[in-house]
Amino acid sequence: MKLKALLAAAAVATMALAGCAVDHSGQDAAKPTIRIGYQTFPSGDLIVKNNKWLEEALPDFNIKWIKFDSGADVNTAFIAKELDLGALGSSPVARGLSAPLNIPYQVAFVLDVAGDNEALVARNGPGVNTIADLKGKRVGTPFASTAHYSLLAALAQNKLSANDVQLVDLQPQAILAAWERGDIDAAYTWLPTLDQLRKTGKDLITSRQLAKDGKPTLDLAAVATEFAGAHPEVVDVWRQQEAKALDTIKVDPDAAAKAIAAEIGLTPEDVAGQLKQGVYLTPAEVASAEWLGAEGKPGNIAANLESASQFLAEQKQIPSAAPLKTFQDAIYTKGLPDALKQ
Amino acid sequence: MSVFVDITPDEAQVAKPTAQARQGQWRGRLTRAALPLLSVVVFLIVWQLAAAAAIWNQTFVPYPATVWRAFVDVSTTHDGVRGYAGYLLWEHLYMTLRRVFVGVVIGVALGVLLGLVMGSVGWVRSVLEPWLTFLRALPPLAYFFLLVIWLGIDEAPKITLLALAALPPAAVATTAAVVAAPVGLQEAARALGATPTQVIRDVVIPSALPETFTGIRLAVGMAYSSVVAAELFNGIPGIGGLVKDASNYNNTPVVLVGIFAIGFSGLVIDGLLRAAERRAVPWRGKS
Repeated sequence: MKLKALLAAAAVATMALAGCAVDHSGQDAAKPTIRIGYQTFPSGDLIVKNNKWLEEALPDFNIKWIKFDSGADVNTAFIAKELDLGALGSSPVARGLSAPLNIPYQVAFVLDVAGDNEALVARNGPGVNTIADLKGKRVGTPFASTAHYSLLAALAQNKLSANDVQLVDLQPQAILAAWERGDIDAAYTWLPTLDQLRKTGKDLITSRQLAKDGKPTLDLAAVATEFAGAHPEVVDVWRQQEAKALDTIKVDPDAAAKAIAAEIGLTPEDVAGQLKQGVYLTPAEVASAEWLGAEGKPGNIAANLESASQFLAEQKQIPSAAPLKTFQDAIYTKGLPDALKQ
Repeated sequence: MSVFVDITPDEAQVAKPTAQARQGQWRGRLTRAALPLLSVVVFLIVWQLAAAAAIWNQTFVPYPATVWRAFVDVSTTHDGVRGYAGYLLWEHLYMTLRRVFVGVVIGVALGVLLGLVMGSVGWVRSVLEPWLTFLRALPPLAYFFLLVIWLGIDEAPKITLLALAALPPAAVATTAAVVAAPVGLQEAARALGATPTQVIRDVVIPSALPETFTGIRLAVGMAYSSVVAAELFNGIPGIGGLVKDASNYNNTPVVLVGIFAIGFSGLVIDGLLRAAERRAVPWRGKS
């Protein structure tokens, strides 16, 4: 009898809890839902989200924003067909477009280009003054990230391979801990950790320099091919909001910093500093031949992705690099450059 | 790896010297060996069918053959590349087992000692029990970052994490076992003139040992299930680091190889512990 009562109580509790999850997204079951994956690096995505521009521009749709911590997770969500749009780095995109993943998505926007907000920093003092001095030293970086890619590119520039230094796989917050304890001699990481390392260290190279040398790392937005085919008008509206956000970063950096700060829990001053160190293109630049290109003429970004794919093949993370054609086909240029004009 | 308390009957109890019974015993052994094998074969067939049906993407359900190829790649030097991330599979596994071994030895030794004291002295138990329960409730991921800040990025934080995971189950099981040591036997020993030390050595510990062993097996299981967390930072070489790194690249075949390696080595370790238990406490269940 007692056991029965207990079981009944458990069943009732389960049903009651299942019915009252905490959910503030305000979804309306009658409208179709657009699922957008975002990450917390400072970008126009966060401005669009914080100001609810998409919700205003697309009143006939539910907008569901889903937070991700890494490009690998965004890729997984695309494979599972759980995302329509998603923000991820150039390295995960190159991996997603190559075999064996072959994710059916297209690059539809350049959120930002890594500038001085990602850098290789070495501890002050004698010992390491150039990248070549890193030979045999311990260098921390989060593996599989854009910083990892940049670090190996910087080493290769100086005729060093990954085996000439001791690479240590550390997330940014662990890099800071290891740095303060003296466990690592250098690190390739991003803000805000980077600024804390710079207090007792110096830049050996930044991603801005690497971009000039032909090895840029980017944060991109991808759209599922199926979704882009079914709702090209939604993609157009979304691109315009992203373009508006890029303009805001240029024209009204304080408003941009405030919106981003509200999304990632930093102060507006911190975010303003981060925005200054990143490279944010103008909408016209995004649609230029150097990046996305125009309709029918995919831009140089395809070559960047091909180079990232070759890097992954050298790292044995994919069986072989995909050809340039694959990446050119995977640039969503429909209506460019006019589609970005407001 | 989970811990199963022995549910197979002790063979010594079943054995009867008649020919018919011996035949039955052989058949029993055969079934016991064949059934797990059969289940593996069925599993492989279902897996192959699921992959061939192509309902799911290859990233979610790769073919068994793909995983086998990944296993061979990770275990050998091919095209000038050594295994995964410069280390062969057995090297990853060896480093992980070494960490688990050291961590478990420290954790279990401290845990059993704590358990003995907590079981024998009432006030110590009252003081320490909430602390142990607190520690037991924490997922290792929650405090691993603190260990990195305090202890660095090399072996120390990993081994500490594994020891902390192994300590509570060993301590709790030992405490319970010592508390449950039959009072009648203790009093009988005391009446026969045994000193307190002798009572603990000759009565309490032998009667507590079987349950302590269960606690140790639980402790090893807890430590083993924490390896991926322990190797989250700077985990290569290490099987947990391999799984984490491969999943960062959506490299499912290698992730599965790592998972199988962890699972199989877990089975082997639990088997060894069971054998050790049978040797060390043959009186289990027959007091």
